[in-house]
Amino acid sequence: MIHLRRYATLVGFGLILLAFALALPDTFLTAQNLINISQQVSMLAVVAFAMTVVMAMGDFDLSVGAMASLAGVVAASLFAAGFSLPAGLLAGLGTGLLGGLFNGLLVARLGILPFVATLGTLTMFSGAAFMVSDGRTIFGDDIPEAFGAFARGGLPVGGLVLPSLSLLALAALLIVWVLLEHTSYGRRLYAIGGNMEAARLAGVPVRRLRASAFAVTGLGAAVAGLMYASRVASANPTQGDGLMLNAIAAVFLGMTMSEESEPRALATLAGVLMLAVLDNGLTQLAVDSYLRQFLVGAIILAAVASSRIGLSKG
Amino acid sequence: MGLRTMLGAVAALGVLAGMAAAQDADRVAVITPYLAQPGTQFYLDGFEAEAEARGWDVNVVDTAGDIAAVISRIEDAVTQQVDAIVINVDPAQVEAGLVQAQAAGIPVIGMDAGSHELLATNVTSNGYAMAAETAAYVANRIGGKGRVVLFTFDPFPPVQVRGVIADAVFGNYPDIEIIDRITPDVQDGGIADSRAKMEAILAANPDPGSIAAVWAAWDQPALGALQAIEAAGRGDEGIVITGIDANPQAREAIAQGGSFEASVAQDFVGIGKATAEAVARVIAGEEIREPVTYVPTRLITASNVNE
Repeated sequence: MIHLRRYATLVGFGLILLAFALALPDTFLTAQNLINISQQVSMLAVVAFAMTVVMAMGDFDLSVGAMASLAGVVAASLFAAGFSLPAGLLAGLGTGLLGGLFNGLLVARLGILPFVATLGTLTMFSGAAFMVSDGRTIFGDDIPEAFGAFARGGLPVGGLVLPSLSLLALAALLIVWVLLEHTSYGRRLYAIGGNMEAARLAGVPVRRLRASAFAVTGLGAAVAGLMYASRVASANPTQGDGLMLNAIAAVFLGMTMSEESEPRALATLAGVLMLAVLDNGLTQLAVDSYLRQFLVGAIILAAVASSRIGLSKG
Repeated sequence: MGLRTMLGAVAALGVLAGMAAAQDADRVAVITPYLAQPGTQFYLDGFEAEAEARGWDVNVVDTAGDIAAVISRIEDAVTQQVDAIVINVDPAQVEAGLVQAQAAGIPVIGMDAGSHELLATNVTSNGYAMAAETAAYVANRIGGKGRVVLFTFDPFPPVQVRGVIADAVFGNYPDIEIIDRITPDVQDGGIADSRAKMEAILAANPDPGSIAAVWAAWDQPALGALQAIEAAGRGDEGIVITGIDANPQAREAIAQGGSFEASVAQDFVGIGKATAEAVARVIAGEEIREPVTYVPTRLITASNVNE
């Protein structure tokens, strides 16, 4: 039963892949399509990896989507004002780090519930994005050629091109995986997630760790926002907003696959890929957009429900 | 039960796969982030009617406002090797997808999308012509002489071209004087700030007849100017107001027969139909010479507003 619970999502993912492979024999399991999927999901993946860091402590960050939008318009506004590419990127990343730290202080210092604190900052960041951009989309000549070219480029490997965005997401995965699984920092975050009071009594500097974890998440959100802006070679004050719910969904999907139902970086990757594969495959099958959305939601619920087998009876 | 639920979902996928099984009809993907907007629905009505008549297999994809997802769905359509892709989004923002379509030799047609070198053509209304229609209407109505207020918005390129044409038309009449060229604040939609600006102009020009007309590059400033003129009790002075776009509020004002006399309606259904015709041409192997394909617009006045 335990095994079924742990592997049901993975088995389901495998069956979904199988179904698409059978239904789309010529176009689904091709190298180019898989590379496309990796690129299509790269921004969501980075946000989801960043979200995994705070969720390891049992916390949430609802502001990641708004932060992604804000980081994009901050960088683009600086580009439009004539600043250099590095200056714009640094400002975008700095915004993420500071915004995340602000979240962390609200949660760790003032003790505001993460749900409430980040709901507040979600609204603040979103308002700031509108203020910075004047509500407009920044595009065209205002965006440096090299910035848009980054997302279109990649690393050529034997006739194929590994997209820059996919490689960036892979780097983010590596960093979060090492951070959570192979450092005492990560182990302490899980300890906080397990029992905050026990962690505190055991000498874990809970406040500092929580604040810093939110800063990491904010930075990750900003990276994703800049990736998004590069992909569309433009920035508008709402373009990253949709990332937040999907990132939380991906972490939840991942949690159904991990031991102890904890958020794990690699499990989050599986969750993210599942969402991306559904989007890609259902689009290729010409499934109606709204039906596609409905199915994705239903499949998330099915996965989470399957991980509750046995638990709900207890 | 969980596993069975998953199997059920997979079975559902299998059925869908069967539905999408091999077809010989030409396949066209229509990808838009704006399906929920009323205008887009009209484009699609026109497009789908024409597509059905031609026996195409049309897949409409809505990304619910997500521009990056438009790129992703263009990539998926390229993977599927559809015969043509139609987009209804600023092409500069989805260039990454257009590059892939071009590499695969799949034509992309813009449906009121904006011009771009990677589009086979963009089907839209002629902004120059729309502005010329209303500017000429104003010039004729005031007998080629009088003082005129312009409402323009140069930061937005599709509206900026309208202002250029108005300047040119009025500049051709030696007795027409442009007393102000206003760029209203559009944060609130444009009506409220335009009204405030117009109230100031009315205060500065109190004599009846001192303002002959208000030409606006789109409907909202025209509606704001109308409100200001009526609130100042100068609705019977014969100040001629025109807008562009003929939105429902503007049509209502025109129907009332007051100062707001004319606007221009775009033919959204016609744009959808013409887009389908352009798709048919590129599928047939034709290279469309015009980067932009214009669909005629219509001057709306009290005489035809209720048609």
